[in-house]
Amino acid sequence: MKRKKAKDVQRGIWNKETLSAIDNKASSGKHRIRGCGSTRAMPNFDDIVVLPSQLTRMSIDTYREKCDTRTTLGSRSAKKPLVIETPIMISGMSYGALSKEAKIALAKATAKTGTVISNGEGGLLKEELQNSYRQSIQILPSRFGFSKDNIDAADMLEFLVGIGAKPGLSGHLMGEKITEEIAEFRQLPVGIDLHSHPRHGDALGADDMVVKMDQIRQLTNDEVPIFMKIAAGRVKDDVKIAAKVGVDGIIIDGAQGGTGAAPVMASDHLGIPTMPALVQAVKTLEEANLKEEVDIIISGGIKDGADLAKAIAMGADAVAIGTAAMVAMGCRVCLQCHLGRCGFGIGTQDKKQRENLDIDQAAQKVANFIKGMTNEAVLLAKAAGKTKLKNLEREDLRAINTEASAVTGIPLIGTDYVFSESFGYF
Amino acid sequence: MEYLDAANLQSRELNKLLKQKLQKNKELKLKNPHSLHNIGIGLEMGEVIIEGNTGFYAGGFLNGANLTIEANAGWYTGDNMMAGEITIKKNAGCNLAVYQSGGTIVVHGNVGSRLGYGMKGGTTIVCGSAGMWAGQMILGGRLIVLGEVGREVGESMYKGVIYLKDKAVEAKLGGNVFIDDLNKEEIKEINQLFSHYGINEEASKLQALRPLTSGRHQYELFEIDLQAEEARKYSSKSLEELL
Repeated sequence: MKRKKAKDVQRGIWNKETLSAIDNKASSGKHRIRGCGSTRAMPNFDDIVVLPSQLTRMSIDTYREKCDTRTTLGSRSAKKPLVIETPIMISGMSYGALSKEAKIALAKATAKTGTVISNGEGGLLKEELQNSYRQSIQILPSRFGFSKDNIDAADMLEFLVGIGAKPGLSGHLMGEKITEEIAEFRQLPVGIDLHSHPRHGDALGADDMVVKMDQIRQLTNDEVPIFMKIAAGRVKDDVKIAAKVGVDGIIIDGAQGGTGAAPVMASDHLGIPTMPALVQAVKTLEEANLKEEVDIIISGGIKDGADLAKAIAMGADAVAIGTAAMVAMGCRVCLQCHLGRCGFGIGTQDKKQRENLDIDQAAQKVANFIKGMTNEAVLLAKAAGKTKLKNLEREDLRAINTEASAVTGIPLIGTDYVFSESFGYF
Repeated sequence: MEYLDAANLQSRELNKLLKQKLQKNKELKLKNPHSLHNIGIGLEMGEVIIEGNTGFYAGGFLNGANLTIEANAGWYTGDNMMAGEITIKKNAGCNLAVYQSGGTIVVHGNVGSRLGYGMKGGTTIVCGSAGMWAGQMILGGRLIVLGEVGREVGESMYKGVIYLKDKAVEAKLGGNVFIDDLNKEEIKEINQLFSHYGINEEASKLQALRPLTSGRHQYELFEIDLQAEEARKYSSKSLEELL
């Protein structure tokens, strides 16, 4: 047998990525910042399959019969719940991280598809509000550009506690992106590296949030649904607390969630992935007998109609997309959002590069994507015999490997076994 | 002046009543607030005199009304305030004027920690002392503290200004701020404020705290501090022995 030459030997954990990470620390003495969130492989919805209808139930005609996707969110206590045509929301990406053009394109896409867009951290852009179908407003610890007027404009409010890409950390916006326009919008000095407020200054703990929630409800005349966005961590406890605080729904952002800039350490090693987070949230609400009341929106790495269908089957009421919508506009996930040099005119504030994004074309592409994604989910639902997308249930799912089965409590394919605590339908 | 008894009311009912009554009456007196939370939130006009203590979030999102609290105020008083006036005759809890973006708050007593966290505009005057972390990460507006301040005052402030009378402030500065003198215009403005609110004080005795925003990467953030030399004392052998 011929011996391998050293250069041909696989380096195992000492691969190029590891070496680059070490080199980076060796020269800077700091942690590395990157855009787009984690690139790690994690258990996800691709490890699940949907069971088709055969003799046990009748299939619905893919091409001729209807399947309802209209979704109502926040009907627990809001007088005016949010009604959207497809259970796909565009998650909060700030004006600052994204260009004005990209924000407008996303807003226009929601108008074409009848869904909701969240404004993100940097305040509410007038053009975004004018163009969006339904507007969600985030209440963040930094409150950049936030005021009572924003609350009045909202169709939905998100009390943001954390995001999946960097749970437990505050927002980052690198100096390259804080141009004069952004600085004025956020009341910041031009060109500083922004590390925004880490905690809500007006609700330090969960008990205070109960009172805060009452305050916001009074200010909105109990009309607007209030959600709480939390990063997936101790999901069981967090969901219980959020439900007790009195929210209409919970947005859970898994570890695959993206962002404009985050320490790689935080993206890769903080928080649990999207799918197990959803499972735990659903279980917790069911145990508390609140599943029918409190809505769940799941986000973090949602990329196609299969993810949507499986998330709905597991108990989500809607999903939120961020990176996928950007990719639809042209983003190629280069992980360099934090540098603000996006050649596609999406993650940049540079005037010249912003010209590269054709707003109407981008809006159409995102709208097409949302439509296509809905189509895919509906295809699966009909094949499983459902006339409503939300009628998909856990019983329609199987896990294709033991890991996914153990994580979700869904039986392994070819067996009726669940390799952990069951999800509760056998 | 009309009286309103809050003894048997929840904040919801009380705020509805306040709004209704302030449409007709310009002034209202509130009896027995019993430290109720969320008193007078989002009020847009009129004058309310509260004869007692308030709980959390009194005058939150206040948008033009005039609130006088005759006793002590709880945490988060004047949170997200946009316009109007809040006067607190005694002391206030923590996080006073958090995210304030307009209007004026005057406290005649002391306040707790995190005064004006994330403040964006408006004016807050504290005649007594303030706790630690006053003016943390403020984005605008002005804070005036006439008594002592706690440690880390003005930590990471981005914009805005903090006026202090505390002479020992140098030892209590947060990161990214510097002590400066007031210019003539500031002295004039603040003296006007003092006379308007009947505060017996002179602006020229104050010092200003301003953010260091001379450019990128000037923000002094948390740095890991590995003190190798200090750690030598834990070594079993001294350097001499090893050599």
